Amino acid sequence: MALNIGSVAPSESGSGVLGRARERAALIPDLLIEAQRIANTVTSGWHGRRRRGSGDTFWQFRPYQLGESLTRIDWRRSARDDHVYVRDQEWEAAHTVWIWADNSPSMLFKSTTAQVSKQSRALVLALAMTEVLAKSGERVGWPGVTNALSSRVAAERIAAELMVAKIDEDLAFPSTQNIRNRSELIIISDFLEPIDTTLTRLNAAAEQGIHGSLVHIVDPAEENFPYSGRTEFEDPESGQKLTYGRAETLAQGYATLFQARRETLAQHCKRLGWNYIVHHTDSLASTALVALHTRLSGEAMA
Amino acid sequence: MSILALTFAAPLILFSLIVLPLIWWLLRLTPPRPRQEVFPPTRILAEVNKSEETPAQSPWWLTLLRLLMAALVIVALAEPIWNAQDSRISGEGPLLIIMDDGWTTGPDWEERQTTARNLLAQARENERPVALALTTLGGKVELATQRVEQVEARLKAATPQPLPVDLTGLAKRLDENTIAFTGIAWLSNGLDQKGAEQLLASLEKMAPQQLQYFTSQLQNLHVISKVTNTPEALSVALERADGQPASSGRVTAYDQKGRSISAVDYSFAADKQTITAQLVLPVELRNEIAKLSIDAQNQAGATQLLDERFRRRRVGLISGSNADQAQPLLSPLYFISRALNPFSEVRESRAANVAEAIPQLIEENVSTLVLADIGTLPGVASEQLEDWVEAGGMLVRFAGPRLAAATDDTLVPVELRRGGRSLGGTLTWGTPQPLASFDEDSPFNGLTVPPDVAVTRQVLAQPGIDLTEKTWASLTDGTPLVTASQRGEGWIVLFHVTANASWSNLPLSGAFVDMLRRIVAVSNGAIAADKTRSSTASAPDGSPTITADADQITLPPLRMVDGFGTLTAPGPTMQPLLLGGSTAPEVTIETPPGTYGTSDAFVALNLFEGPANLKQLPTDLLPADTIRSRFSTEEGTALKPWLLAAALLLLALDCLAVLWMAGALRRRVMPAAAAAVSLVVFALHPPPVQAQTSNFNFEDTLRTRLAYVQTGDDQLDRISKRGLIGLTNFISSRTSLEPAEPVGVDINTDELAFYPLLYWPVSTLGPPPDAKAMARVDAFMKKGGSVLFDTRDQLTGGFGNRRISAETQRLREILSSLDIPPLEPVPDNHVLTRAFYLLNVFPGRYLEGKLWVETSQEDEGESAERPTRQGDGVSSIMITSNDMAGAWAVEADGSPSLPVVPANPTQRIYAYRTGVNIVMYTLTGNYKSDQVHIPALLERLGQ
Repeated sequence: MALNIGSVAPSESGSGVLGRARERAALIPDLLIEAQRIANTVTSGWHGRRRRGSGDTFWQFRPYQLGESLTRIDWRRSARDDHVYVRDQEWEAAHTVWIWADNSPSMLFKSTTAQVSKQSRALVLALAMTEVLAKSGERVGWPGVTNALSSRVAAERIAAELMVAKIDEDLAFPSTQNIRNRSELIIISDFLEPIDTTLTRLNAAAEQGIHGSLVHIVDPAEENFPYSGRTEFEDPESGQKLTYGRAETLAQGYATLFQARRETLAQHCKRLGWNYIVHHTDSLASTALVALHTRLSGEAMA
Repeated sequence: MSILALTFAAPLILFSLIVLPLIWWLLRLTPPRPRQEVFPPTRILAEVNKSEETPAQSPWWLTLLRLLMAALVIVALAEPIWNAQDSRISGEGPLLIIMDDGWTTGPDWEERQTTARNLLAQARENERPVALALTTLGGKVELATQRVEQVEARLKAATPQPLPVDLTGLAKRLDENTIAFTGIAWLSNGLDQKGAEQLLASLEKMAPQQLQYFTSQLQNLHVISKVTNTPEALSVALERADGQPASSGRVTAYDQKGRSISAVDYSFAADKQTITAQLVLPVELRNEIAKLSIDAQNQAGATQLLDERFRRRRVGLISGSNADQAQPLLSPLYFISRALNPFSEVRESRAANVAEAIPQLIEENVSTLVLADIGTLPGVASEQLEDWVEAGGMLVRFAGPRLAAATDDTLVPVELRRGGRSLGGTLTWGTPQPLASFDEDSPFNGLTVPPDVAVTRQVLAQPGIDLTEKTWASLTDGTPLVTASQRGEGWIVLFHVTANASWSNLPLSGAFVDMLRRIVAVSNGAIAADKTRSSTASAPDGSPTITADADQITLPPLRMVDGFGTLTAPGPTMQPLLLGGSTAPEVTIETPPGTYGTSDAFVALNLFEGPANLKQLPTDLLPADTIRSRFSTEEGTALKPWLLAAALLLLALDCLAVLWMAGALRRRVMPAAAAAVSLVVFALHPPPVQAQTSNFNFEDTLRTRLAYVQTGDDQLDRISKRGLIGLTNFISSRTSLEPAEPVGVDINTDELAFYPLLYWPVSTLGPPPDAKAMARVDAFMKKGGSVLFDTRDQLTGGFGNRRISAETQRLREILSSLDIPPLEPVPDNHVLTRAFYLLNVFPGRYLEGKLWVETSQEDEGESAERPTRQGDGVSSIMITSNDMAGAWAVEADGSPSLPVVPANPTQRIYAYRTGVNIVMYTLTGNYKSDQVHIPALLERLGQ
């Protein structure tokens, strides 16, 4: 019947998505990763961290403290009064952010109420984030596809790599073996794997010292369950088929379970100190981008 | 094959009904196909309901529906016929069909003919000779048998006649008849008509083998039996046959050209035979009515034609003296108006002055003017009166002392002797004279001469050659009592006595009323009757009396009422109507009901001019072995199309049900249907005032809270709300003020008075607020409220710059209807910079925009000219372009909704501080600036 709610959209990758990602990214101010999470890495970034550290830009004068290297004393300033001052530079450092978007068959789902498929939206978000981060001078990588790249054109390179890379479609979680301690990991997925599996993987990643952000992509049909009547449901991943005489009777129970899953995920992330963002494919990609950006900037209110 | 009234043309097909159980079994086995949906979280679905339910069979009602559909189709194919005509007239030998074609037969004429045709068809099958007797022919009916084809041709040519039926002639003919009819069918109209008993008697005498009696339904047969023009209304007497249930109808009045003028509904109670319907209309309109007929009756009895007799004439009365008013019961006008009132409309002049009264009454279009004892007419009035008479007016004058004393009165029909005479007095020799019988020429002809009328005084006419011609009534001694003469088109009539009882007792007699009625009738028909005569009689003899040759008046048929109650042109067999004879004209086959005369002047002949006395024919009068039947409609009702239509309907239902079960309907149709329903509901119930639907709660006003204006842009409204929530949280944590949760207000409906500060993000979406809403905002501002406008366009222009963004343009539109005082960017020493925090910038999401406030008042004198007062020293308007709510907005988890530009966390803190300062400023006013003076105040108090 032509009235089907859900459909499987063709897989998207490459320059089209990159163009849209650029559009989104252009709307976002330069991204600043909260400094406290930055690893002790020597790689310099272009942006100041609003605290003293190694960098070129003047940050503050502070009184000299015993034990500090005499070479740091700013004599010109100290000559003005009786105290001895040290000139501090603003700490400018780069951070490694790994971005990964789920590419499993379930992500190709697109309902009539959604604008794009989940996969398309996930890629757009991933590349837009890459663009933003790369502009800020961060090192960005895609686990399993690229290493962490420190380049203004990281988004292009990742997009190119994605086009040629052979991605294991059954991979429901990025491999974290190349990710170093204290890096940032952004996972964009629909998290439809069994919840226990997901939680175990999150724990494993957290134990590695990774700080993560989950962007949960949800199709509106998956949340509202607009099905009714006699319906046969098919799982695009496992091929499992279920037929129900009156699908509308399931709506209540399904919604409860779905919300419970999401709640579990959110709670777990809170416990790990990770960020968790839900994004619906019927809203604009930039809303998720802004949300992700504010979370990563650490602007959560005290 | 027939069951009750149901007949099947192909009954064998009904046997296929036994396959229904098979269909049932098949239907139960085939469930509807499910809709196939890709659904990634099917795993979750499996957790919801592990047991997958697959109904192996359709629901029972769907099966029932389909079975019913199949059964309907089978039954339809068997071609059932409801009420098939099965009344057969059997036997051999000649058949007599007596067919009523009188006035009642219009409504069921088709059925009547069909029945007759059925009978003829049966006669043809049995090769019986047939005689057809139409009842309106009466004694002229031909009883010789004919071949069926000839009779059929006659039957086809027959139409219902608008005539009453007299069966005596037919009964007589039947008695004389020699043919032995073995079968007789009487297609009666069911009424007890004239001669019905004789007919039945002769039928019984003939003793046919079979007598079939058909009757029509009488319950909807209504007739108009009489129309009377009463002073108040045109009253229509309606009648119907006895013993009928309650029914109702509507009488419509049409004018000469067939346009409907008015209508009145009536209803018969059960068993009631007569009622009267009143058509209450102005006289002018009533006089326009030419035809009254009952709607949807299709028969001649329901139509009444009106002619001049039914017109109500307007008669004007003028009396000679106002002394008449002293004894109103003796006043001449009293007698005249009492006599005229029943059949005409009497107008009395309110003006005492005759010279005024005459033009006034002529103005009122009176057709007759009665002057009671008026002697000399003022010159102007006399001329006017003469002109009016010449133009066709009827002037009736009564004698009296003044008239008798008058000289040179031209407006009298005959020359009068001065003084007059009195009879029966002490000094007179004559005895009071009674009336002589009326001349044939006189319009009073035919009235009974009252024997007890005696005239004691009168004015006398000068004898002349034409005196007899001008005399309409005279006394037994030959002296004229009423004289008349024609002037131009009109008439002047003079009663040689007074209109009251002082000169004669004529006004006390019934003859007076009749005479006046005739005169008024002459007045209305004066021109008409003349024309009638001149058009019908070849040589008008110029006689002054209009009815001189009444016997000879023959009126040609003008428009005829046919058997269906409609007006038609006269047929070739119709004869002119003879009027004026001793007997009233009757409705016959030559002179059917209708109008006769010319279109200007005609006489109406109606089927009923009095009670119709409709009675049902008592059925016990019929011979005992009579077969009674009703008229058959065409071939009975074939049920096949209806059954097939019902099956199709069920098929459509089935489709809908299948769609519904597949879930397609719910999603596709329901929103549209719901929209349609809501639209209908919305149309039926006027939209409730939005204040009722808005969540305005009086309890909310008990705590201070921030408010924002709802723009209709959902995104923007959400940011406004989240922003004010963020600001409220900040204020609660940093200051002693703890505002309640902020609210969104609709400036069109909500009461604004409870909110100290209104945050108004300017949106280009939707229309700008109308003048009424702006008046509310104006009132809000003048009563001390503050509005913070936020154009949010610092990046694209900003308020106060040269560049005009769309939001700024919109803000200008909004403010154009407000009286805005001069504005300035917040000066350094303004209270806003120190209301809570010390601030020198007022950022929101953007940094650069300035905050504009009312220019601080320099001196008191200026304030009077300011349209918007600075309530309590607080600027009633603040304008920013920094998108403050965007900076304040926080999500439920405490994270900010939007980033600030540039991405400087401190800027957000400053935005909150700005918010606190603005709120403190609006709440405390110039309190902070007053604090500056505290040392000075304390110093004074210390003194």
